[in-house]
Amino acid sequence: MPIFALQRSYKYMMYATKQPSLRINQADLKCKNGCGYYGNADWDGYCSKCYRNHMDQERQRKARQTHSDQAKHQVSGFSKFEEKKRQQTDKKNKYLKSLPVFRKTSNVKDSGRPERHLDLRQANPDADKLMAEFISLYGIWGEMVRKDFFKCVQSFTTKIYSELDNKPIEDIAEMAQKYYNLYNNRVNSTQTYQEVTTEVREELLDFFEKYVMVSLYSWLFCPPSTNDEEKDLIIQERIRKLSWVNAHHLDCCISETSIEVRDLVYTAITDLLGMDSMKAPQEKLSCVVRCCRSVVEVLQHCQGGPVSADEFLPALIFIVLKANPARLKSNILYVTRFCNDTRLMQGEAGYYFTNLCCAVSFIENLTAESLNMPQQEFEAYMSGEITSVSAWESALVACEGMHQLCEHLALLKGLSDRTNSVQENTKTLTEDILKLKEEITEKVTAVLERTPLIIKPRKTPEDLKIEASTQVAAIKIEVDESQTQNNFYLQNLQIGQNNLDETKTKLQLDITPCISEDKVKASQSIEFLSPAFDAQSLDGLTPDDQNSLSLSKINYDIDFSDLSGENSVAELTPEKRKSPSYTPDPFSPIGSSCTITQVPLVPSQVEPKPKDDFVLPFLEDNAKKEETLIDKKEDNAITNLPSPIKPMTSQYSGFSKQGWQIPSIPCITGDFVSTNASQSSSQQSSSQDN
Amino acid sequence: MKTIVGKVVVLGHQGVGKTSTVIRYVENSFSQHITPTVGASFFSCKLLVEDITVKLQIWDTAGQERFKAMAPMFYRNANAALIVFDITSTVSFESMQGWVVELTRNVESPMVLCVVGNKIDLAKNREVSRDDAIQYARSIGATYHECSAMHDQGVGLVFDDIARGLVRMSGSHNDHNLKVYDTENIDNIMANSSELEATDTGKEETVNLSISSIAHGNTVKPKCC
Repeated sequence: MPIFALQRSYKYMMYATKQPSLRINQADLKCKNGCGYYGNADWDGYCSKCYRNHMDQERQRKARQTHSDQAKHQVSGFSKFEEKKRQQTDKKNKYLKSLPVFRKTSNVKDSGRPERHLDLRQANPDADKLMAEFISLYGIWGEMVRKDFFKCVQSFTTKIYSELDNKPIEDIAEMAQKYYNLYNNRVNSTQTYQEVTTEVREELLDFFEKYVMVSLYSWLFCPPSTNDEEKDLIIQERIRKLSWVNAHHLDCCISETSIEVRDLVYTAITDLLGMDSMKAPQEKLSCVVRCCRSVVEVLQHCQGGPVSADEFLPALIFIVLKANPARLKSNILYVTRFCNDTRLMQGEAGYYFTNLCCAVSFIENLTAESLNMPQQEFEAYMSGEITSVSAWESALVACEGMHQLCEHLALLKGLSDRTNSVQENTKTLTEDILKLKEEITEKVTAVLERTPLIIKPRKTPEDLKIEASTQVAAIKIEVDESQTQNNFYLQNLQIGQNNLDETKTKLQLDITPCISEDKVKASQSIEFLSPAFDAQSLDGLTPDDQNSLSLSKINYDIDFSDLSGENSVAELTPEKRKSPSYTPDPFSPIGSSCTITQVPLVPSQVEPKPKDDFVLPFLEDNAKKEETLIDKKEDNAITNLPSPIKPMTSQYSGFSKQGWQIPSIPCITGDFVSTNASQSSSQQSSSQDN
Repeated sequence: MKTIVGKVVVLGHQGVGKTSTVIRYVENSFSQHITPTVGASFFSCKLLVEDITVKLQIWDTAGQERFKAMAPMFYRNANAALIVFDITSTVSFESMQGWVVELTRNVESPMVLCVVGNKIDLAKNREVSRDDAIQYARSIGATYHECSAMHDQGVGLVFDDIARGLVRMSGSHNDHNLKVYDTENIDNIMANSSELEATDTGKEETVNLSISSIAHGNTVKPKCC
């Protein structure tokens, strides 16, 4: 309920301005007689008891005086008249003083009088502000203008101030009007203002009025010498009593329930209430004009088309009734007294102000007749017998609810919008994330495609390659020497493949190292071959982890067989010759090679260890150079050798072919070639089948 | 150049078309750009009578009977009164006479009075005869016009007449309270007097008729009738 709050604040302000007067020293509150009781202003500062005594004394003294006067002048009639008059004024003063508000102001007057002049200069921040404004606005017109302006202001204020207590407010108002005219003439005729444009002259006049009135506001507005404040209270009470009057009673077409109209009405009411907070008369007038324009707008909204005075005045009355502005009468009187007459007589401001005066006077004289209702009904309303369900009040409450609802709805809408936007943002964010993910995977795959991850074998430094090539040559030579053995080995393997189960082929893997080692021992190319063979054996073994545990056992058995085969290298050849389907390899040489069996045990035990560990023990420091060579070689070697180890892999076939070439190179013994070829082909086919 | 500022108060019974008449006139004068405050009940317009600029400030008043008591506030300091009645309503004519009585009683300074019979477009329903109206106007020293705000007949003449009356008054009487300015830059003063956002966007309107053609109590016939 903004209006009520406003009203309250205005009321508060009204009292707040008088606040300083309430600050009375403790000593002042005590009885003047010093009896220790509290005194009272009504009793001339005495306590009740002392006052009574004092009054008695006074009365006696007066009685004596009048007696003496009568004796002196003999003209009793006149003195009596005078006495009567004085009594009357006393009474009036007392009456005024008895009103709480007036007592306060009178206190102000008493205490504030000595320093009033100081107030004018110092304690008026508004005037200071205006002075600054003046300098900023009209400073360009020169020092002379400024000096003259303030000289006039000074003479005006001092004159008014000095006359304030001697003359009734109406005379002072007249003086003010005279001063306005004087300044007007001065501005328009004297040399000082010659350079000033006519427009600015008018502004100066306005400013003069404003400045002077703001400076003197506290003495000219609702002066204590008048009963303006009393009138304020009366009209306020009157309006309060007429709160039941609604638009219908006034024959005005304000639709109280429409939200838009209500808002406009609020605006009008606020403007009207704002009048009290303004100080300069023209500012107050502008408030009235704004209020009236809002009223016109309300009417245009309600009925459409041009608004005539027939409709305007009732609407304004309605607004005044609903606004119940603070110090309404004081404000109106202040404006009529101290506003430049020309402004009031003419122009829009004058018109609207006249309307406001009409509205107030209508309210003051409001009767049953003026509301077109029977006298009884009117009285019933006034006495509160009938409490009308005021559309305005209910609309006020309902509208307030509606208003809040609307506000809340708007708030909710805003919130939901925000959540929606947040949701959308999250959606886009997730999409972005997904996109990014896809992009990254795409890029990664693209990169991978472009540059596939190939774990290349360890590289050999360049210089080693040369050595390697020489070594290769050496190998070739050496291979020649060990050719027969190689062939045997291969043949042996192939036989195993053909004859044994898969498990047996695995077993053969273990055989190979054994063989190789034996071979190594036997041949001179130990360094080259042995690691290669070992690696192959490892490669072959590691895939079948299941067997790794059982390897030791298996190896054990196989070792014997292999060793037997190994031992019988020389003997093998005849075996091979005998038949490809010769199975009983393992058993035949069991007993013969007990010493040798232990040798292969060492590698079999080493097997579970990691490659490097495994490889290194066999690589001697000086062999390291060659090791890399071997690795290179390995490709070939691996391709050659794994064929028996991994019969299932497709690679095998390719390598096997190549592998064949290597051993085939040194094939000198022509007898074996045919058998080898046939065996290899058979082996190939079998591996492919697998 | 002389400038006269005159306050014209429009009186009459409720619903006789006071506002319509005024608005019709204001709209006609400034048909190109209607002031935003049209729709309000205060108007300001400027006419040019011979060499004299006449600025009319037209104050509309509420015609209801219950506001009659407030009327003096409006016609205080008025220089001219436009008294409107409805020719189709005897009540409005009688009521108007009441207004005039009030007016003459409350205003001491001389005023230009102008009686206007409105709604001549409804002449077939006429209740107040033209002769009665003219006779009455003569009796109070007023001019009489008939017009139709609705059909825009004779409205301009009413205000021309008032402007002329003001000019004549400014010349003859000494006790009038007309504001007469002799300054060149009267506009500025006027801009000040109606200080809050000028409501007068008035254009000057030249009147071709000569003053001599209008005299008190003479009927000036509307062009179309």
